[in-house]
Amino acid sequence: MDVQTLTYLIVGVTFALYIGIAIWSRAGSTKEFYVAGGGVPPVMNGMATAADWMSAASFISLAGIVSFTGYDGSVYLMGWTGGYVLLALCMAPYLRKFGKFTVPDFIGDRYYSQAARTVAVVCAIFICFTYIAGQMRGVGVVFSRFLEVDVETGVYIGMAVVFFYAVLGGMKGITYTQVAQYCVLIFAFMVPAIFISVMMTGHVLPQIGFGAELIDAAGNGTGVYLLDKLDGLSAELGFSQYTEGSKSMIDVFFITGALMFGTAGLPHVIVRFFTVPKVKDARVSAGWALVFIAIMYTTIPALAAFSRVNMIETINGPESTGVAYETAPEWIKNWEKTGLITWDDKNSDGNMYYAKGPESEMKIDRDIMVLATPEIANLPAWVIALVAAGGLAAALSTSAGLLLVISTSVSHDLLKKNLMPDISDKKELMFARIAAALGIVMAGYFGINPPGFVAAVVAIAFGLAASSLFPAIIMGIFSRTINKEGAIAGMVIGLAFTASYIIYFKFVNVADNNPDNWFLGISPEGIGMLGMVINFAVAFAVSKVTAAVPQNVVDMVEGIRFPKGAGEAHDH
Amino acid sequence: MDASELQPISDFLSALTPFDSLSDAALQRCCRALTIGYYSKASGYVPLDEDHPQLYIVRTGAFEVRNQDGELVDRLGDGDYFGFPSLLSGDKISNRIQILEDGLVYHLDPDTFNFLRNESREFDRFFNRAYAQRMRHQGRFKAKEMATTNRISTLMTKQPLTIDVNACVADAARLMRDNRVSSVLVIDNQQLKGILTDRDLRNRVIALGHDGQLPVHQAMTTSPTVLNSQALVFEAMLLMSECNIHHLPIIDDGEPVGVITSTDILRGQSTQPLLLIGEIERQSNLESLINVSKQIPLLLQNLISADARAEEIGRVLTSVTDALTRRLIVLNQQILGEAPLAFCWLAFGSQGRQDQAACSDQDNGLLVAGEMDEHAQGYFEALTKAVCQGLDSCGYVYCPGDIMAQNPKWRMTLTQWQQKFEHWVKQPEPKALMHASIFFDMRCVFGSASLFDSLQDHVLANTKGNDIFLAGMAGNSLQVSPPLGFFKKFVLERDGSEVKGIDLKHKGNALINDIARVYALFAGIKEVNTAKRIRELMQLNIINRKDALNLADAHEFIAHMRLSNQGYQYTHNETVSNYLMPQQLSSLVRHQLRDAFKVVHDAQAGLKLKFTRSF
Amino acid sequence: MNAILSKLGLFWRAWRTQHPLIKDYYAELAKLLQYKLADIPMLAIDLEMTGLDPAFDQILSIGIVPIKNGQLQMAKAQHKLVSIDGSVGQSAVIHGILDNQLQDALSPEQAMQWFMQQSKGHLLVAHHSPLDLAFLEQGISLHLAEPVKLLAVDTLAVEKRRLLRQQEVFKEGELRLGACRERYNLPVYNAHNALIDAIACGELLIAQMAAMGDGDKLTVTDLF
Repeated sequence: MDVQTLTYLIVGVTFALYIGIAIWSRAGSTKEFYVAGGGVPPVMNGMATAADWMSAASFISLAGIVSFTGYDGSVYLMGWTGGYVLLALCMAPYLRKFGKFTVPDFIGDRYYSQAARTVAVVCAIFICFTYIAGQMRGVGVVFSRFLEVDVETGVYIGMAVVFFYAVLGGMKGITYTQVAQYCVLIFAFMVPAIFISVMMTGHVLPQIGFGAELIDAAGNGTGVYLLDKLDGLSAELGFSQYTEGSKSMIDVFFITGALMFGTAGLPHVIVRFFTVPKVKDARVSAGWALVFIAIMYTTIPALAAFSRVNMIETINGPESTGVAYETAPEWIKNWEKTGLITWDDKNSDGNMYYAKGPESEMKIDRDIMVLATPEIANLPAWVIALVAAGGLAAALSTSAGLLLVISTSVSHDLLKKNLMPDISDKKELMFARIAAALGIVMAGYFGINPPGFVAAVVAIAFGLAASSLFPAIIMGIFSRTINKEGAIAGMVIGLAFTASYIIYFKFVNVADNNPDNWFLGISPEGIGMLGMVINFAVAFAVSKVTAAVPQNVVDMVEGIRFPKGAGEAHDH
Repeated sequence: MDASELQPISDFLSALTPFDSLSDAALQRCCRALTIGYYSKASGYVPLDEDHPQLYIVRTGAFEVRNQDGELVDRLGDGDYFGFPSLLSGDKISNRIQILEDGLVYHLDPDTFNFLRNESREFDRFFNRAYAQRMRHQGRFKAKEMATTNRISTLMTKQPLTIDVNACVADAARLMRDNRVSSVLVIDNQQLKGILTDRDLRNRVIALGHDGQLPVHQAMTTSPTVLNSQALVFEAMLLMSECNIHHLPIIDDGEPVGVITSTDILRGQSTQPLLLIGEIERQSNLESLINVSKQIPLLLQNLISADARAEEIGRVLTSVTDALTRRLIVLNQQILGEAPLAFCWLAFGSQGRQDQAACSDQDNGLLVAGEMDEHAQGYFEALTKAVCQGLDSCGYVYCPGDIMAQNPKWRMTLTQWQQKFEHWVKQPEPKALMHASIFFDMRCVFGSASLFDSLQDHVLANTKGNDIFLAGMAGNSLQVSPPLGFFKKFVLERDGSEVKGIDLKHKGNALINDIARVYALFAGIKEVNTAKRIRELMQLNIINRKDALNLADAHEFIAHMRLSNQGYQYTHNETVSNYLMPQQLSSLVRHQLRDAFKVVHDAQAGLKLKFTRSF
Repeated sequence: MNAILSKLGLFWRAWRTQHPLIKDYYAELAKLLQYKLADIPMLAIDLEMTGLDPAFDQILSIGIVPIKNGQLQMAKAQHKLVSIDGSVGQSAVIHGILDNQLQDALSPEQAMQWFMQQSKGHLLVAHHSPLDLAFLEQGISLHLAEPVKLLAVDTLAVEKRRLLRQQEVFKEGELRLGACRERYNLPVYNAHNALIDAIACGELLIAQMAAMGDGDKLTVTDLF
């Protein structure tokens, strides 16, 4: 069977699996399940959280970025992991005690103000929206390759699939569907990584293969270590050394910070901690989620390195002089159809050549790395198909969660609570669906005209979250003195600053988007952290000069941090 | 020509529900299709054309709808409708419309009527509801004279005691003694030959000096006066006083199916709820209370056959339970003495919500004002044991989940109760919450109201606006969905190969109770009765007016179906259950039931969106 | 009335007249008069005029609504504007018919033809019919070049006889359409145009007929 048929088959089978689980869990009413003394075990909940968490960005793009930028790319790994820990340990337990289900509701109550709630809603919508735009791009890439259409059509198809999944399907949000999605995506990610690791280094675990010696076709050690080889190749082709970053220290610091604090402010992930009834269970499942996320994240650097070596060798040939286009492997031609790889025979020698700078004849989109790796490594067709299914699983689980946040925020927080208090349930639901549809359409637009690579778009979402919601949440929990004026001013200025910096460099003046023009050398991806600092500063300053926080709110804040006897003590 | 020239007519219609839901175009088409007639009191009745049913819209005048028996079904005035039942059901016109006051009436032909029903769901639903209401009303007006217009079948003793004509009177006397009855039917070949009563034994056997070996046919009253089971109680009373007898055999199709006695009739009349409650309050010991409480199932049957509103039936039955509980507490306090501490007797679940029906079990608890010392512990244990046991013997069986005041777990002080609730609210574990949900429908049946208030206020202060808890509650209530499958087909419950039908309680009313509870706890509403909760939520504009009215209607409709189904099961000697077989319904009622479930489904979707942020 | 407008008289008129529409009108009317009152198709009409003098003033609009089996048929209710020479002038305030609305109106000739077609096979009904008939007869003889004598039930006259039977005198205005309707518990219509007044008049007639009692025994003479 060819790759395409297999892809249809495997994607079809995985979808049938999700639907099957959804129907099963409906039919065998979960109520009876509870009675039987069941409940969702923390391990399962951890997997579901991991599926929510690992988006198309993690799955498709992260390895691509690491692969192309080497050490620089690892800031994403650090930022996201760190943010998750921060969220799980420092924030979620407190937010839980507050009894609020969504971040805007927390902010609205803590800052005793409908205006603050509305600002938070707008921030949340903005963030989710940016995040989902990244997902659409990822889905588009998957579809474009495997249906052999250009990436634009791929995004359209992806939009339709995500819409049906998130708006009409009844299978989202069901823990066991997400467990299945996690299994599919982690399997899809690990299988090619293990294959290649075995082929190139003889080690089954890619994590070990990463630091190991390369082997030749006969299976004998060559004495050359993978990373050394990569460094050598990179230097030869004019790239900076793979294991050394090109980014300035301050930028790395800011990007990591923005990602970390942004993660902690992401609305759709926080909710996950509230769907578990007990604080203790929530902690345990957060721990499991971390384990499941780590499985993938530790594989990413290895996979990135393998695929880069493979790719350069395939294109430039063993002598690094280029390979004739005529003899180019199938995968290059396949990806050319999507427009994500282009070959421009500048010196008219009929050979392909990949390098940094003007002599490079190849343009390769980073987002294809994970998807193309199995093909580059000549893995069996079913592995390639599996990767497609994995990419879809990652995109679907995350975008369904995000769309829910967007649509319910629009219909319930904006319309019902602010504009049309007398709206009927049916109308509210209709507006939610419309909002979801609009969200997809707009995300699709940015998926087609992306302001950056999938991971970079997502990074911007995190930056926005870091500069707007994160400070409001942290100050809400840990400060008694921040009042509503301070919080609102902080959020508005933080978000405005970050958004305008990003928009300037990513949309208005793209040509200037390089370290020389950046403020303090901070890239748009990292500016969120500076926005966060500004947010804190503005909030404190404004709170100082405006009315004090009412006593009942002060009591409430103290109650969150120092529970009085009840609650925890009676946990049996 | 411009249709707006019919302005006086379109103005009138557009102010009428459900015509107000029509689009302008549909309304104009409707105006155009009308014919206008005038009916004068002098002609008595509105002439209804059997072959051409139409919708009659009263513009002016006053009319009365009367059924074939001439009983009043409805009174109509400006802006009311008649004629729709036969339009909807296609059945023959059965009611007559009496003209009370001259008036102008608009007529709408069936084609346009059906066009408008297709055009607007609201329009369609309005008339379907009106039809259902009309059917209920037919009983409502009857209910006023319940005692006399009831059918004998509701009061008679079924499966009467019978004896063969050739048996001896001694056997008959023994049979009567063993069954504690005062009469026996004498039969020969399934045919009723006579009746033998206490009086006959006295007058025709003992007084004449016969011995016990006398054949029954010589002592019995031959060819006794009989009635059929569909006769009215009133007729039975009349017959008894005319003939000076106390027993009437009931014959259907030539075979004896029951006996009605003057005592049965008396008992039938005493099952008026007020009389029953009065009687409960007069009883001075457990035995007599048990005796009185035997009338409760009969009261339910009477209310059902009188077609009272389900909500009213629930309230009436609950007030009887409340009275019984209070009486038991008072009687036991007379034995045990004054309570050492102030306390409240709490009712949970259906008793709390005031929607008890057949075969309710007890769900209750005890709230004590302060710390209990050993004496108090003993006192309350004795009191609660006695009361719960009393309730059990009166037909309110022990709670299978052991949620009863006699269980020390549910006999707590104010602080303990408060902590218990706080725990549920702060740790909304699905399983625990599911069991706990009935506690949130609590009501004080006996004891200090202020003590109860301090508990309820505390609970509501905790639940109000606690989104995580509410999400848990909402999530739980969404675990069960109404029994509608794809294409809105009914989903029937099965037990192995046996089809049990639609579970009207657990897939209907319980879901609405759940929905109303989540909203009420969200808003901090003290009311626990579902209909009242919905009403209050509507007033606070927490539920949209239309949604609230739909939900309240659906609640009443499903509950009504459930009760009338149980009434049917009871009179047909079937096991009383919550299961309804949809085949037994007319297509119209099926349609309405489907609509009611659709309302529940929509309300669930609203709950899901609002409280769990998902759809 | 039998004396004046006997069948014979109608046939005579039908024979004499030249105009086919008017001929048909007479012929059909003659057939109608033998039916029971309840079975006679009727046509309630009302006119709006520029004034009250048939010789000078003109018809502005005509509203008609057929009555069949004692019921007004809204589906066939019609309202036609008639074009006039000159301006509507002062009376526009009363009728609400503005000059520019008259632009797509029928010419008087078309209007009269239309009216004769519609009234064929119907007994006309109007409130204070002499006035409306005078305008119509004037219009028809002018525009169809044939003199005509129309027959109409006058609800005002019917009401007057009814009131006279009950009481000796009645106050001014008691015979106005609105006042008559009120006695029959008919709704108050605030808007007025030829069609609405025709409907109002038709409703009054069916109410009057209902008040007369047994519909089967009534004949057309009971209305004259």
